[in-house]
Amino acid sequence: MTEDKRPIKQEIIETEVSMGTVHPAALEPYRVRLFVEDEIVKDAEITVGVNHRGIERIMEGLPVEKANALTEKVCGICSNAHIWNSVLTAEKGLGIEIPQRANYIRVIVEELERLHSHCLYLAHGSEVLGHETFSMRAFYLRETAMELLRMIGGNRVQYGASIIGGVRPRCELNEMRLQKIADGMDTFEKGILDFADRFSSDPIVMSRIEGIGVISQKQAKELEVTGPCLRSTGLAQDLRTVMKEYEDFDFEVITQDDGDVKSNILMRVLEVPESIKIIRQAIKNLPKGPIIDRSWEMFDCDTIKSYIEVPRGTLYHSYGIEDGRVRGSIIRTPSMTNIGAMQLACIGDHITDAQLCIVQCDPCFTCTDRAIEVIKI
Amino acid sequence: MNLKSFSRARAVHLMLVYTGGCNGCDIEIVNCVLSPKFDVEQYKVFLTWNPREADVLLVSGPVTRFNEEPLKKIYEAIPEPKAVVAAGSCALMGGVYKNIHGDIPSEEIMGPVENIIPVDAKVPGCAVRPEDLISGVVAALPKLLEAD
Ligand code: SF4
Repeated sequence: MTEDKRPIKQEIIETEVSMGTVHPAALEPYRVRLFVEDEIVKDAEITVGVNHRGIERIMEGLPVEKANALTEKVCGICSNAHIWNSVLTAEKGLGIEIPQRANYIRVIVEELERLHSHCLYLAHGSEVLGHETFSMRAFYLRETAMELLRMIGGNRVQYGASIIGGVRPRCELNEMRLQKIADGMDTFEKGILDFADRFSSDPIVMSRIEGIGVISQKQAKELEVTGPCLRSTGLAQDLRTVMKEYEDFDFEVITQDDGDVKSNILMRVLEVPESIKIIRQAIKNLPKGPIIDRSWEMFDCDTIKSYIEVPRGTLYHSYGIEDGRVRGSIIRTPSMTNIGAMQLACIGDHITDAQLCIVQCDPCFTCTDRAIEVIKI
Repeated sequence: MNLKSFSRARAVHLMLVYTGGCNGCDIEIVNCVLSPKFDVEQYKVFLTWNPREADVLLVSGPVTRFNEEPLKKIYEAIPEPKAVVAAGSCALMGGVYKNIHGDIPSEEIMGPVENIIPVDAKVPGCAVRPEDLISGVVAALPKLLEAD
């Protein structure tokens, strides 16, 4: 059983190393202050807010369809997750049943997105680790998923597959496209197994990532960590198991035991074959029929809430509808809840590993910048 | 071609500054340097995070209020000659964040990048395609290489 980490409260903390907001080691602008004594991190503090663009405020008063398209611009990595959840929110409120085929296509797009997000994690992690070859390999693997997404949605990043009532006609999957996705999955599976093999049999990399940035299960629960970060501490919690969109699919929830950087990385690697499994099932059983149902009506709704599982954790959207316009929108992204884990993960480790400990929680500060969070320790 | 531009042409350093977009453009920019599919490193173009080493500044995002000062400082820290490439519709004209209100000005967004620092090349797209980005950077290179 790993121990809880607490910041050590002292009168004098020797050195403060502050990075940010724009800093070479961090891809995105955020500020982190590390309090260091003898090169060991005693306390860490992450400040976000630099990227605040006020999406929720922009959404206020926009027509629902337009607001849905706008949520895609919350994050450029899991863009489909946002538009999907936003559309689901509206569908839940307006009581729209979408055609089965549309649901399958949405699941395929979401799982492709999970593949590319996990590959990006591996690439970013290896880059911070200082191993550029692994990083390039992961980027190369990611290209397969990106090309498939470009084929489906017509764009590499913002593909906008879901609209209220189904999916965009552009995203219809015909025989040729299905075949391409199936071939892509074969390539991907081979690539990720190869990557996992190389990665886990590299003693230098393994000795670097083992046992650092540990978060205990109890503490992860306390901080309400979500997604792969939580599962890597040994708790099998995945919203996909209860979502009605995923009820036709059969997959396993992967867990790891240690909660350190190694289990986080292995976690992502092992989740990839599960996603491939889901995509293969979806291709095999894709129902026939229309992909969009336009016979819905708009009416006013009170606040509607929707939670889904996205590559990095649990995503929450809520808004009310008034005269076909969005009111009181709230978005909570998974990185928001994981910030607490990022701060605590560094404590007790060497300062050279601090950035790696932050990256292990898969931060995306762009989508996080929408509220101010107060953590009590 | 004098000695300076001869050596400059053999190691062009890009610096990426991210000023508050949605991350889509940034990942594509990093992708086009590190991914073996595009791999501009083979043309001796490298990604750096140190402004004093950089030749080309790549800016993505609509420049939020807090990012305005750092962007100016970074621009000033880059030695002459330098080129600036604005990537993505956010950097070009503020993107959805600035324009979706119509005529009501946005308080958060100080961009587009042109308002803050001079821009030499513009690459459109939301998100930018890596191919476009490479051609955008190539279009800005003569400014570097012809300077003495
Ligand atoms: S141009 Fe589009 S993809 Fe690029 S940062 Fe802006 S919203 Fe994101």
